[in-house]
Amino acid sequence: MQNPYIPYPVVVDKIITEVDTKDIKTFRFKFVNPEDEAKYAYIPGQFGELSIYGKGESPIGIASSPTQKGYVEFTVQKAGVVTSALHEMEEGTLMGLRGPLGNSWPLEFLEGKNIVIVGGGFAFTTLRSLINYMIFGDNRKRFGNITVIYGARNPGLLLYKDELIEWQKRSDLNINVTVDKGDATWTGREGFVPAVCKDVAPSKENAVAVICGPPVMIRFTLPVFFDLGFSKENIITSLEMRMKCGIGKCGRCNVGSKYVCKDGPVFSLAELDKLTPEY
Amino acid sequence: MEKRLIKKDALAGIAKKMAEEFLVWAPVKKEDNVLFEPLQKDGEPFFAYLNSKNAPKNVFFPHTEALMKFTRTEKGMVFSSDENKADSSVLFGVRPCDAHSFALLDKLFDQEKYQDAYYITKRQNTTVISIACVKPPYASCFCTSVDGAPVASEGADILLTDIGSDYLVELVTPKGEKLAKYFGDAKADAAADTNKNEIAAKAIEAIKSKIPAHEVKPILDKNFDNPFWNTIHGKCLACGTCTYMCPTCHCFDISDEVKGGDGVRIRSWDSCMFPMFTKETSGHNPRVSQKERWRQRTMHKFKYYVDNFNAIACVGCGRCVMSCPVNIDIRKIVEDISKL
Repeated sequence: MQNPYIPYPVVVDKIITEVDTKDIKTFRFKFVNPEDEAKYAYIPGQFGELSIYGKGESPIGIASSPTQKGYVEFTVQKAGVVTSALHEMEEGTLMGLRGPLGNSWPLEFLEGKNIVIVGGGFAFTTLRSLINYMIFGDNRKRFGNITVIYGARNPGLLLYKDELIEWQKRSDLNINVTVDKGDATWTGREGFVPAVCKDVAPSKENAVAVICGPPVMIRFTLPVFFDLGFSKENIITSLEMRMKCGIGKCGRCNVGSKYVCKDGPVFSLAELDKLTPEY
Repeated sequence: MEKRLIKKDALAGIAKKMAEEFLVWAPVKKEDNVLFEPLQKDGEPFFAYLNSKNAPKNVFFPHTEALMKFTRTEKGMVFSSDENKADSSVLFGVRPCDAHSFALLDKLFDQEKYQDAYYITKRQNTTVISIACVKPPYASCFCTSVDGAPVASEGADILLTDIGSDYLVELVTPKGEKLAKYFGDAKADAAADTNKNEIAAKAIEAIKSKIPAHEVKPILDKNFDNPFWNTIHGKCLACGTCTYMCPTCHCFDISDEVKGGDGVRIRSWDSCMFPMFTKETSGHNPRVSQKERWRQRTMHKFKYYVDNFNAIACVGCGRCVMSCPVNIDIRKIVEDISKL
């Protein structure tokens, strides 16, 4: 019997400070035992429990794509005990990683469809995993048009800045990056995510919208997609809840009969309508 | 199924004999309470009890248990040992309601996909012996309303029933049969069976407290927002006693403790009655008041568990009813819901 509470040993291989405020960093982990990488086979949209012995564990969405071999990445905001300890770490430090946990973005459902990705602020991490997965090699052929709308409060808070530039160079991606307010050097789009969605107006035909962001962004973005004619089955999002075990036992992420950790975190709006509004 | 007869006064001796070979959890008198504890060398089991003060779930799901240990190195804290281990043991003399709770907890901890190694190891290494309630112990017992019975074997490996001068010993599972040698060689005859069936029917009859546990499921399906939920929690102190006393409550916390260069990751019982249970780092709390917490507890037992496992997560032991310091009574809550 595999013991699901025991983390895989990993080493912090690389730390990238993503934002000007320095409180969001991407941590690249390598498995201490190379054979563990295959056991950690994941799908975009899943999460892991970052395990710092002596501090505890924190459930964080996986930011890398399974097409990126040799490592796994998590983009983490400094917030509580575990994430603060993580932010103090140096490259070369040993820690633990559990998972992969949860369901995932519904790749089979997304295949053959036009994909609209909408992300706000720090919630872009598992969307980045999905984008990198869809545009990797032959994977690109399995999906129709890919439209990305990604916003942050200001240019300094955009994640994955180098990748955004690379993505914008591709002809098979429609990338729309926006900031609430630009600065002296910003030459891109200004405006809130819902307004940009309205402006870009992706077609509902054979399309699925995958939306992740702060509650206020979600609240104003959903009506835009309803107006565009998207059905609740074709709008997908990911929930966050306080978690401990990550495997549907400890009880705290219980929403109705579901556990966000094991039955989610990814749900369509149609599925969320069936859940009790307790998240 | 193999059946034997033993003399009633032989019970304590059998438990002590087993204790020479295994760890035996038996009812032990502690001041005014009876609790399941490991039987000590000179210890005396106390079988003349109604039910134990605490549910015996701690045998499989301890109040606090070490999950793993870790140690400091130059490159950070690293894993040092998996603490999942369990001695071969016997849980001797639980009531049928509590044995039933193990069958319910199995559904959660021993699922196909995510197996809880710590619970399963203890469960596999432990033989459960129940003693039927030929006279239901408390007026607040309501096992017959929640798929249980005072003379039922679900969750037990061996069932003992007092049929007068003897105990009828039923070796219910293969695990139970392995302990056959402790129960002598007096085979039970058909008369013993008849006797037991009569006793069982009378015991069922004697359970007077009833709740409409099955009837409320379709009502709960539709009444998440009913104003009724404003009426339960007013006097609740959020002490968590009901969840700690409950044989089926299983919510837990995981936390780390460090002393010097070594540490341990432990899991301990938690409670959906506590505000911190669901409070997120951002400050957001999905279950914002005691109202939402009571709704969660009621829904989890009589709806969510039924949705997920087709079983009610209550065994009718009545411990929460007897222990609540402000007399919140789950029986009344269920009764009231049935009238919504």
